[in-house]
Amino acid sequence: MSEEPQTSDTELLHAIARGDELALAALYDRYSSILLGLILRILHNRPEAEDVLQEMFLQVWRRAADFDEARGRGFTWLVTLARSRAIDRLRAVASRERAATAAMHESHGDVSDASDDVLRSEQAEIVRRALDGIPEEQRRALVLAYYEGLTQSEIAERLKQPLGTVKTRMRSGMIKLRELLGEQMRSVRIGS
Amino acid sequence: MKHQEYKELLEVAALDALDAAEGIALEAHLAECATCPAEADAWREVAAALALPMTPVKPSAAVRERLLEAVRTQSPPVHAVAAPDAQTNGEGVAAQTSNVVSLDSRRERRGVIISKPLLTFGSIAASVAIAALAVTLALLWSQNKALKTQLAQMSDSLRQTEQEIGSLRADRELLAAPDARAVALAGTKDATKAQARLTFDQRTGRAILVAANLPPAPAGKAYQLWFIAGGKPLPGGLFRPDATGHAELHDTVPTAGRNANTFAVTLEPQGGVPAPTGSMYLLSAAS
Repeated sequence: MSEEPQTSDTELLHAIARGDELALAALYDRYSSILLGLILRILHNRPEAEDVLQEMFLQVWRRAADFDEARGRGFTWLVTLARSRAIDRLRAVASRERAATAAMHESHGDVSDASDDVLRSEQAEIVRRALDGIPEEQRRALVLAYYEGLTQSEIAERLKQPLGTVKTRMRSGMIKLRELLGEQMRSVRIGS
Repeated sequence: MKHQEYKELLEVAALDALDAAEGIALEAHLAECATCPAEADAWREVAAALALPMTPVKPSAAVRERLLEAVRTQSPPVHAVAAPDAQTNGEGVAAQTSNVVSLDSRRERRGVIISKPLLTFGSIAASVAIAALAVTLALLWSQNKALKTQLAQMSDSLRQTEQEIGSLRADRELLAAPDARAVALAGTKDATKAQARLTFDQRTGRAILVAANLPPAPAGKAYQLWFIAGGKPLPGGLFRPDATGHAELHDTVPTAGRNANTFAVTLEPQGGVPAPTGSMYLLSAAS
C-alpha cells in the first residue's frame, strides 16, 4: 500500500480527544467498513449493526481521551469497543427474541465462515492463514468466544466438552495464533 | 490463586470469555500485579487480529451523516441541552411579568382612547365589546400563564430525566470501559456473605461501588469506603444498604487514592470519619 503517508490512528485519536470533528470523520472513513464487517459477523443484522457502529463512534468521540497508546494500538482500542458493543447488543437482542436468535445462530453458527469471508487485503490474508493453521477444535472455541460472545462454560456446553478441555483448547489456540501471526504482527498494524 | 495461574487466564480474558468469578479474580490480580497488565494488553492485540478476516462492509451513507450530525449537536452533551431549559426556568418568570406589563399598558392606552367616545351614543356597545375583549384577554393570559407553569414543570422534569440518563450513561460507560479498573471486595468474618465490586476510572477518579448482602447499618451508622495507598487509608464515600443488603455508591477517588491497591469498607458513625475506627466488612481480594 504505497499511498501518501496518512495521519496515524494515534494522532487522529488525540485530535478527536481535543474535539476535532474532521479527525473523527477521517477515523470513521478509515475503519467503518472493517468494523461494520466485524459487527455484522457478530449480529447478523444490518440495521442493528449500523446502529451499533454509529453508537460506537459516538463513544469514540466522547471517550477518545481515554485511549492510551502505551497500552496498545488505536485499532485494537476501536475493535475492543466495537466488539463489546456488538456483543452487548447481541445479548440484548437475545433476551428480546431468544427463540429467533437461537435459530439464527444455528444457521450461522458454522465456524468455517471465519476463514471463508476472505478479505483480499494482505493483513486479512495473514490472519486468515494463521486461523487456518490452528487445529480445528481450537479454532472453533476461539470463534465461538470472539464472534458469538460465549464464555468458556457456554462453549463447553455448546460443544458438549468438559470445561477443562475447552480452557486448554482456547489457551492453546491463542498461543498458536500469536505464534503464527508472529513476526507478521508488525505488518498487521494498520494505518500507523 | 498464584501468579502463574492468573497468568494462564490472560489468553482467554483477551477473548472476554472467562466466567464471571474468574474474571473478577483476575481483575483484582491485574490491579496489583506488575507484569500481568502489560501481558493482558498484548493478548488483546492478538485477539484484535480476529477482526481482520471479515469481509469489510461499507456502511450506508446515512450512518456517517447521523454520526457527524450527532457530534455537531451533542458536542458538549449536557450543556447544549440544558441551556434552553435554563432560559425557560430562570428567566421565564421575568418574561411572564413583562407580558403582563405590556398587556396592562395596552389596556390603559385603549382606556384613554375610549374616554371620549363614551360620551357619545352607541358608545356603550363599544365599551361592552372592549370589556368583553379585556375579559377574553385576561382569560387567555391566565391560560397562557398556566401553560407556561406547566411547561416549566415539564422542562424541569425533562432536565432531571436528562441528568439521570446522563449519569446512567456515564455509569454504563465506566462499567464497560475497556480500561476501567475493577476490584472485587469480599466480605470479612463479620459479613461472610457480603461482596462488592469497585469500578473506577484512574484518570478521572470516577468510581462506582456495588455491594450485596451487607448487614443493615444500625441507626446513626453508615458504611464508609477506604482507598489504601502506601499503607495509608484515604476516606471515601458513605452509604447505607437497602433492606436486601444491596448498596450502590457513586464516588470520586481522590488523586492520591487512584494508585491504591487495597480497598476496604468499614462501619462508621453516619457522618463519616477521616480515618477508620469501626469494624471492617469488606476488603479487596488479596492475590
